[in-house]
Amino acid sequence: MKRRDFVKRVGAATAGAFAVPYILPSGRLFAATGSRLANHVVFCLFAGGVRNLDSIQKAEGNLMRGILNGTEAISPDIAPAMQPLPASPLPQALQNYGTLFNEFRYGAGPTGHYNGHATAITGNYTNADLSIRDNPNMPTVFEYYRKHNSPQQTALNAWWVSNSLGPFPSLNYSKYSGYGSAYGANFIAPTFLVSLDSYDAIGNPHLFSSTEEAVVKNIKSFMDNNFPVSYENNSAGVTNTEADAVIVNAFINDLFTRAVAGQFNNPWNLPANVMSNDMYNVFFAEEIIKYLATLNRAPELLVVNMQDVDICHTNFTQYCNNLRKADWAVAHLWNTIQATPGMANDTILIVAPEHGRNSLANSIVDAYGRFALDHTAPEVTQGGDQVAREIFCLVAGPPSVVHQAQVITAVQGESIEIVPLISRILGYDNDIPSGLLRPYTNCAVQQAMF
Amino acid sequence: MKKIFVIAILAVAVSCSKEKTYVFDVKNVDVKQQSGVKGTAKSTTEFISIAYADLFGTTISNDDLAKLFTAYSAFGDKKLIEDRIIRNFLDLPGTNIPTSQVMRNDIPTFITNSYKKLFNRNPNEFEKYYLKNLVQNDTSITSEMMYYSFMTSNEYRYY
Repeated sequence: MKRRDFVKRVGAATAGAFAVPYILPSGRLFAATGSRLANHVVFCLFAGGVRNLDSIQKAEGNLMRGILNGTEAISPDIAPAMQPLPASPLPQALQNYGTLFNEFRYGAGPTGHYNGHATAITGNYTNADLSIRDNPNMPTVFEYYRKHNSPQQTALNAWWVSNSLGPFPSLNYSKYSGYGSAYGANFIAPTFLVSLDSYDAIGNPHLFSSTEEAVVKNIKSFMDNNFPVSYENNSAGVTNTEADAVIVNAFINDLFTRAVAGQFNNPWNLPANVMSNDMYNVFFAEEIIKYLATLNRAPELLVVNMQDVDICHTNFTQYCNNLRKADWAVAHLWNTIQATPGMANDTILIVAPEHGRNSLANSIVDAYGRFALDHTAPEVTQGGDQVAREIFCLVAGPPSVVHQAQVITAVQGESIEIVPLISRILGYDNDIPSGLLRPYTNCAVQQAMF
Repeated sequence: MKKIFVIAILAVAVSCSKEKTYVFDVKNVDVKQQSGVKGTAKSTTEFISIAYADLFGTTISNDDLAKLFTAYSAFGDKKLIEDRIIRNFLDLPGTNIPTSQVMRNDIPTFITNSYKKLFNRNPNEFEKYYLKNLVQNDTSITSEMMYYSFMTSNEYRYY
């Protein structure tokens, strides 16, 4: 009997009793496979390249007052360029709702955005042969979740919300044998989908009556039965079930309707021209959460990213400004999660940049006399400027699950530990074949959890 | 003398047979492939361009192609987006779908022409028989519904 079947049968026999902890050979006490620490995970890739010096270490003052404690003033020379933002939506900084790893590391591989994203989403460092035209080599967090979670969940429970296109749509599933699109996430780039161009292309779909739909379905079924190839998964991307597709279509229709009605012009009522691409991406992630929660289908795993800080290649001051906006958006996201029935007090939010930025500036100077920064750390073995590998990681969640107001100041934790952490939170960590991920028991990030 | 006459007759009979004419030409063959042969999925651009050409009888403009490509790229469930694209096309002015009246006037021809145009092959006897009966017996079926079914079926996605 397979271990999974065994666990299922035993689980069925003791359903409603209690989760039985057991002692692993390592001597560590764990709850049995399948026991979850929380039912929802939101992973916010605070991406675009954020340098610890400017975030955690507050070299320019506290640019992240939604996440970090402190009221350190912003450097006076760049302060005039900071756009006005409302106070954080949270009563206290987000770090107080969890554990902050001040010296997390992006330990290996090129410090590029796609490499950084792929590392965070697959739990494996990438090397120079990562193709930007292809899905990643190693399974993604979405595939682990959909394949190993018991019971298995549909793509409606897993979302990859990206602020951009290019190679990023490929991160919703891998080409790893035994995983792939059948276990992938729903990918959405909302700022492209909810656009005038997309509205022209798919915003006014012809509607058939329910009777006509039934007839059409019958004809299609006949045609498909006479054709040996089924167009789903792989070349079709991630395929939603028929029932889920109805929900997704209704959601897209709802987005278009509200966009046409002007409801997305400044949805957070921020001062003029403040709402950025990052903020919109988080806003739409919140819309996914809220829409599905009303159907009692709040996503169990959602990954959302931001990348506006990458303007730092040419404009350091705007980088600081965008860092503040990204921070504010994360605070808003946490606020929304806590206001959403089904997710409040049952969600763990993980926030981490994909990589940092160099300590040494390039030659571009902005209007405030600040030099711009790239992110080009050599491989660790080659030495040189390794600051782009220095990042932070925040794990926030219910007080019964996540250590509150804890700060880990030592160099601990790595990007590749986030996927094992999510696997542990959602309770399928022991079902993942060995060798694919760093074992959770070896992850420093477990210090965040009770 | 009699012998000479017979020989002369025989000589004439065998020496003047008409030369045969051989004509070398291309023989007409049916190049419509069968459904089982198709195994290559159309690319995004191919799907959009072909669907547009099939419905509007003209090449899609670069602007419209770019718009469709954006929508196509922005969501991971391609099947779902393709369904929306076809439905969107159906409501645009200028589609050259035969009217339902034309379809009902000659259902077998409509079916055969639709298979040729959209699937690039002839329907087999069973397909003709089944669909003809279906359309004949259900007066609610429109030519638009038939085209939508063709264009969102698995076969339409392959060549």
